[in-house]
This record gives sequence, structure tokens and C-alpha cells, in this order.
Amino acid sequence: MSMRVEHVLTTCPYCGTGCRFYLQVVDNKLIGVVPCKTDEISQGRLCIKGYNAHAFVQHPDRLTHPMVREGGQLRKATWDEALDKVVSELKRVSAEHGPDSVVVLASAKCTNEENYLFQKLARAAIGTNNVDHCARLCHASTVAGLLMSFGSGAMTNTIPEFEDADCVLVTGSNTLEAHPLIGARILRAHDKGAKVVVIDPRDTPLSRIAHTSIHQQPGTDIAWINGMIKIIIDEGLHDEAFIRDRTSGFDELRKTVEPYTPEKVEDITRIPKQELIDAARTYANAEKAMIAYAMGVTQHSNGTNIVRALANLAMVTGNVGRESTGVNPLRGQCNVQGACDAGGLPDLFPGYQRVEDADARKRFEAAWGRTLPPTKGTTLTCAIKDVLVGKVKAMVIFGENPMLSDPDIAHVEEALKELEFLAVAEIFPTDTTKLADVVLPGACYAEKDGTFTSTDRAIRPLHKAVDPPGEAKPDWVIACELGRRLGAQGFDFPSPADVLDEMARLAPIYGGISYDRADKQVLRWPCPTKDHKGTPVLHIGGFKIGKGVLVPVDHAPPAEETSEEYPFILTTGRNLFHFHTGTMTRRSPKLEREAPEPYVEVNTADAKRLGISDSGRVRVSSRRGEITLKARVTDWIMPGVIFIPFHYAEAAANRLTNPALDPVAKIPEFKVCAAQLKKA
Amino acid sequence: MNDLTKRFSEIAFEERGADHLLLMVERHGNVGPVLISRGEDPGDARTDVPYQLVTILTNILPFMGKAKVALVCRRCDEKALAELAKRGIVDDASVVKIGLACSKEQVQRCRCSDCVPSKVDIGEPSEPCPEDALAAELTAMSTEDRAEFWKRQFRKCNKCFGCTVNCPVCFCDDCVLEERTYTPEEGIPPGQAFHLIRSFHLADKCVECGECERSCPADIPLLTLRKMVNRDMKDLFNYTSGDRERKSPLLTTLDDQPLEDDVHAC
Repeated sequence: MSMRVEHVLTTCPYCGTGCRFYLQVVDNKLIGVVPCKTDEISQGRLCIKGYNAHAFVQHPDRLTHPMVREGGQLRKATWDEALDKVVSELKRVSAEHGPDSVVVLASAKCTNEENYLFQKLARAAIGTNNVDHCARLCHASTVAGLLMSFGSGAMTNTIPEFEDADCVLVTGSNTLEAHPLIGARILRAHDKGAKVVVIDPRDTPLSRIAHTSIHQQPGTDIAWINGMIKIIIDEGLHDEAFIRDRTSGFDELRKTVEPYTPEKVEDITRIPKQELIDAARTYANAEKAMIAYAMGVTQHSNGTNIVRALANLAMVTGNVGRESTGVNPLRGQCNVQGACDAGGLPDLFPGYQRVEDADARKRFEAAWGRTLPPTKGTTLTCAIKDVLVGKVKAMVIFGENPMLSDPDIAHVEEALKELEFLAVAEIFPTDTTKLADVVLPGACYAEKDGTFTSTDRAIRPLHKAVDPPGEAKPDWVIACELGRRLGAQGFDFPSPADVLDEMARLAPIYGGISYDRADKQVLRWPCPTKDHKGTPVLHIGGFKIGKGVLVPVDHAPPAEETSEEYPFILTTGRNLFHFHTGTMTRRSPKLEREAPEPYVEVNTADAKRLGISDSGRVRVSSRRGEITLKARVTDWIMPGVIFIPFHYAEAAANRLTNPALDPVAKIPEFKVCAAQLKKA
Repeated sequence: MNDLTKRFSEIAFEERGADHLLLMVERHGNVGPVLISRGEDPGDARTDVPYQLVTILTNILPFMGKAKVALVCRRCDEKALAELAKRGIVDDASVVKIGLACSKEQVQRCRCSDCVPSKVDIGEPSEPCPEDALAAELTAMSTEDRAEFWKRQFRKCNKCFGCTVNCPVCFCDDCVLEERTYTPEEGIPPGQAFHLIRSFHLADKCVECGECERSCPADIPLLTLRKMVNRDMKDLFNYTSGDRERKSPLLTTLDDQPLEDDVHAC
């Protein structure tokens, strides 16, 4: 046939659900998306973002050639010139200030294979553990918290199991908007008679349907979780056998939750005490209860502790290690799970092996043929601070846009400008590429092979559908080029499948995974051997660390409290139609048509008091900055709380947010800051 | 290549002179659509996964020039093609139909009352399903209860547009559901107008293929809704969609005269 018509099976580039679809291609042109009907997770259904996942790929704004800065301006360059510039600058900075003055940012939008190469580039080619990615901004507290409680930092159960639960407790997750196809499973459970309990400061599309919808004041989660545990113990609804056989630390936990009476919890959280009691009973009385949560839990200065509190709640009721139970962090990017699995973290090698563990290090040294640094590196959030005190001098960023995604953008901008050298690999121009010394054009999901790992640990292959635009190259090719030019061994891979094979040899949880196997069946890690079928449900019969650890945690107020000048609590998040910094979705006409401009949700009573009308302009400010945008007046948010989606560069919510960090996970408190609201 | 692939290729290329064949095959551990030319081996054909091939075909047809494309065609697909041909969207001469009789299980799942293609090339004809149980149940309800039922269903809508994107007879260039006046950009769920406009807009086109219902992440029983509207069309106008010859009664003047050609599109 004269023209080439293809239907190429691949994985959605948006949230971490891992829906699969066929890209319709005519002569290297993307014309549409057909959902894959036989896929176990998406079942032939998609959300609006999935149906529009082809729309941005061949957009005229794509970066098509490398650029280097000269005389203050970015100009077109050859690949050789751009790569050599990166390599010579990294060598210079490393020689002058040591390898730990360089930071590599991996990417939750890139494949497992690419993230494996990014961390190998940092560790084996540059010689630093300074590698991190935006998981730091979303589920760092989950990884840290659940590793301590269960010995594994990932979703304990799988997406299909939601529909068979008797109770689903959803907190800090606007599931129908942020993870639509997981929300759909919860709706199906609801239709089948399950009790869906949503605890969130905002009314969400799911909470408006749910059996129970409870509003807590932002920043008070440990209080209500401890309160529920106390009610459950006091009423004898806890699972004594499970607690005895499978956990440690119950007596301490019982003492810690003792003061959290429903009255005290009501004082702290504004949750009416009877609502809390009913919710505790509903959860504890269910035969199979699942907890699902997202950024509303993790993005706090005590996020790690909130995650541990949820793990306590699940363990006390015996809701771990069985189908349709567990603690289920919903990961928000197509491959944020995989970027963590592949070792894009400063303290962990691929497969969650600690860099400080001498045995683990020895294995990686043997495989990579060089000595490796024994101490953990700096996090993304600390790196920004380290730049300003002169500890970090150069950064290589793969597919991230910290100029919009990180808290307190003014501060981020100051830091990135302070760097001696910044290289950014991207698919579109962003506020971050504007500051770069070298810009490398990358290939997006539709233009390469590889794998993502979904939020429920399933390995999801990508197949190349179209060529990258112009001279753009896949990030795995860029990383290999940089590794080779830096003089390191082990960067000669003919294909992503070969990279995955190396990762499988070094990360036992991926031991049995290969591109060919994952292309024929759904495999979920841990999958240690080539004949292993993968592990849908974690912790059946026992925890990896022996007993599950009940870690007593106490309520602590948010890092920033409201004041007379800043009387509102500002919380941030996503809407259904856009994704993160909007680099892709805002270039997709049907998505942009649904949510074209920034807005702040304000409670009706607050709006009335301040003379703010629906769609009127308002000014929102915090101790760090100020933005002007449209008001959306609604009863779907509590009085005293305002919400801004963080997708919009023209009124960036992160000009306002607080960079206060969780002490363990170093995740910023995106979900609470004190703000002022005025008619503009 | 299994026997089914061979048979499809034979019919398409040898017997009916097509240039290409659109069918469903097993690949990468899944079943999906594929377009092949004469002599190509796409792997093992499958007929048990109901992809909406007419929709897939109409997406690519504008790029196909004068080529003749054969496609695996159920009774509902045949009717969808009739609706499209009538409106000049698909040229009869460019499409070669390979009739597939749906399995008993598929007929049950679609509660399908018209399930045998005019020419059966593959499969054994099954008995039609006389009734949609939910439609009967809803019909027996009071108007208020019925409205309440649908409101409860529509509250689950996540505005994915799957019902529209995958529909074989949704063909407008500018979709009225993306028109601000009716469905403002205020998030989800969309207002009642969204579902009611879609309902009536398809009243003289819907062939009950069920793809909207299969595509709905919220499990809204959209096929039942369609069947109920189609029943009204039958009662009010004695009209059933999918007839190649008969013009829609909605495309006539109040005196039953046909409208001018250029307004026939929607």
C-alpha cells in the first residue's frame, strides 16, 4: 500500500493508572487514539486526557534541534556541539568542586530504561548519588513511610481489586479527576454496594456520589486517623489475631491514640464526632476494605507520618495481605513508580537497595566496573537550597519543569540562575529550558520503545508509533551518548530492551522481567525469576521485614498557620483536563477548551463576605508571592479554605506555596499554606 | 496466520477485490485493530472482541484516496455504514463488507434484536434477543423515578467523550457537546444538557451497536437509553435507523418534503 496505516499499542503518558491504547498512525502522522479493549487495567475505556494523548505529540512547538547559549541567547547547535558542551562543563565543574556539585534530575515521564540510565549516568559516569526526580514532590513520603511500616513502598494491591472491595476509604485523592479509570473502579464498587468513604477538604466528583463524604481542615489528617484507630480499638473492632501474629508495636500505638477522643478530633479537624465514629465503624466492619490516597496525604511537612498512620489503620483492622484490601497510594505520573523502581533516588539503587549498604554497593560496583560513592545524595528539594549556598554548581534535568512544579518558584528561579551550568532535555520549551545553557530535544512516549510501571506495579510496554520531530532523540540515546562521552563504560545499549535486561540482573524485584515477557502478559513486581508470574497482592502471609511495624505518630500543626494577614488555607491540586505544568495538555485543543484559564475555588460564604463574585478577578497572595486569577465561587470547598490548580504558568500556584519540607522524605508542603484573598 | 485470517483475506482480496482489509488480530498479548494489504500476514484474527471498526475506518478513510477497504462487518456495522453512506460521508463503492454473525454471547451482551448481517460470511447466525430487561423495568416506572434513575447515572459521568469518540455515527466536525452554551467548561459531571443533546442528536442515526456503553468508564447503561429513544422514534415516526434508502423523518419539512441537500449532514 502506498501509505502506511498502523495501530500501535502503547501506554498513556498521563497519570500512573497505566491505561493502554492504540495510536492510529497514517504515514508517520498521529490521527487518533483507540482504547485497548483487552487490557486488564483500562478495559477499553479512557479518560479525556487519554483520548487526547495524540494531540500534543506533533505540535509545532516541539523542540527539534539542540540549542546552546551564546551571548545570553539560545542558538541552534549540532548534537555533537551540544553534547560536548554538556560533557566539558560537567567535567570542569566536577574537577573544580567535586562530583557532588553536580545534580541529575531523572524523570517520571521517561521510561524505566531511561531512568535506569539517568541514575547510572549520575553514579557511574559522574560519580555522585545526587540523582532525584519529581517523586520527591508527590510520593516521597509514601516510599519512606510504607518502607518503614511494610518493608515495601508501593501500592499493596492492584487497580482491578477496587471493584470487589466492601469499603473504599479515599482520602486526599480527587480520584475521578486525577486517576479517572481508578475512580471508575471505585464507582463500580459503589454500584455493587460497597461503602465509599471520602475524607477531603473539598467536595470532589467522587465524594458527591460516595456513601459518606467528610471534610477535614487541611493539615489535620493524623488527628482523624488516630481518632478512628481509637474508636476501632475502644469498640473492639480491631483484628486481634492479625495484630498479634503479623505486627509489632500495638501497645505503644494504643497509648498514642488514647487521647484522640472524637471530641478532641472534632476540635482539631472540624469533623463532627458522629461522622468520625460512623466512618470508623464502616471501615472496620467491612470484610475487605481498601484505602486509596494521593497528594492530599503526602504533600505535607509531616507526610511520612500521615502515611504511617494510614498503614496503622489498615494493620489494626487486618486489612493488609489479602485481595481488595491494603494501603494504596495512587501515583500520579505515567512512570513515577518506575522512576523510583529504577533508582532515580539519591539514597536507593535500582530495586530499592540502599546506596549505604556495602553489599548492594559491591554488586553495582562489580556490574558497572568502578567504585561508587557510599553516601546518599541530595534530594531535588534540597538541591535547590544547596545551589544557593554554593554546594551545587551544575544540573542536568531530563524532562522536568521545576520552574512551575516546585514550591516557591521565585526561589527556584534564583537557584537555577545561580548555577554555573544547566542542561535540560525536553520535548517543549518550558520556563525551565529558558534558563538552560544547553537544551537537548527529547522524544516523547509515542516516539520510542520502553516500559512504564503503573501505580499498581504492572510493567506496561510502549511501542514506537512515529518518528521524533526534526533531530530530537529518545532520552535513553541522549543518556548513553553522555555516558560514553564522559568516558564511562557500560553505555553501549542497542535498544531499551537491553537496558531493561541489565536492570533485571541488578534489581531482584525486576529479576524476571523482560521486554518480551511484559509485552505478552501483565507482570507486577516483585517478579524475581523468568518463570514467576508476578505479584498482584503484596504481603500475603507475611511482610518482607517480618512483622509489620505499627509506628505511633502524633498530630502536628502544618508548618505555616493562618494569621490575621493571611487568614485562608491555600491548597493546590489538579483538575481533570490538565496535567501538571500543562506542557502537553495545554497544547491539546480539546483539553484546553475544557479548562482554559486559571481559577481559585472560594467558598460561597467567604466570597460574599469579601464581595467576590463568581468569575470575578481576585488577587491571592502568600508570604512568598502573589497571583491574580478568576474566582470560582462554590460550596464544594470548606469556608476558610481556597483551592488553586497548579497547571497554569500565567497564575502559577507555586508562586505561593510553602517549601517547608517533611524531615524524612523532604517533600514540600504543597497542600497547606497561609494565604490572603482580595478582590482584584 | 490462523484459518480465520486466511478466510478473511480470501474474501477481501480474492473474492471481492479489496485493496485493504481492516480486522482484529491478536498481538502483544492483546487484541486490536489492524489494516493490511494483499499478501500481508497480520497474525491470528479474532472476532470475539467487539472493536467498533466502522469508527476506526472513518478515522482513516479521509487518508485512503480511492482505495477499496474491506472490513469485518456485524449487522450493526452494516447499518452504521448505511447511515453514513446516506449522508455522503462514506462512499458505498469504497467499502467492502465481510458479514460477521455475532455469537450468542455477544447478542446477549448487546440485548440485540437485529443481529444477522444481510450476507453472512463468517459465524453462525444467532437468535435475536427480544427485550432489554432494564428498558422494560424503566418503562414500568413513574416518570419521576425514571428521571431520578438517569440523574443518578449521569452523576457518574466523567466527560471522557468516549461515547462520542467511539460512536460510528457521530460525525460532526464541530461537536455540539463542546459548545459552551450547552456544556460550559465547569468540570464534571457535565449538566443534563450534555446527555439529552446527545440522546436526541443521535435519535435518527443510532444503530444500537452498544459501543457507547462499552466505552463508558462509569458503566452508565447508555445502550438502554439508546434503545428507549429508538423505540420512541419507531412509535412516533415508524422509523428505524440503518435503512440505506429511507431518509430520516427529522430531515423533512413539516410537510414531509425532503430538506435541501446541504443541510442533511447532521
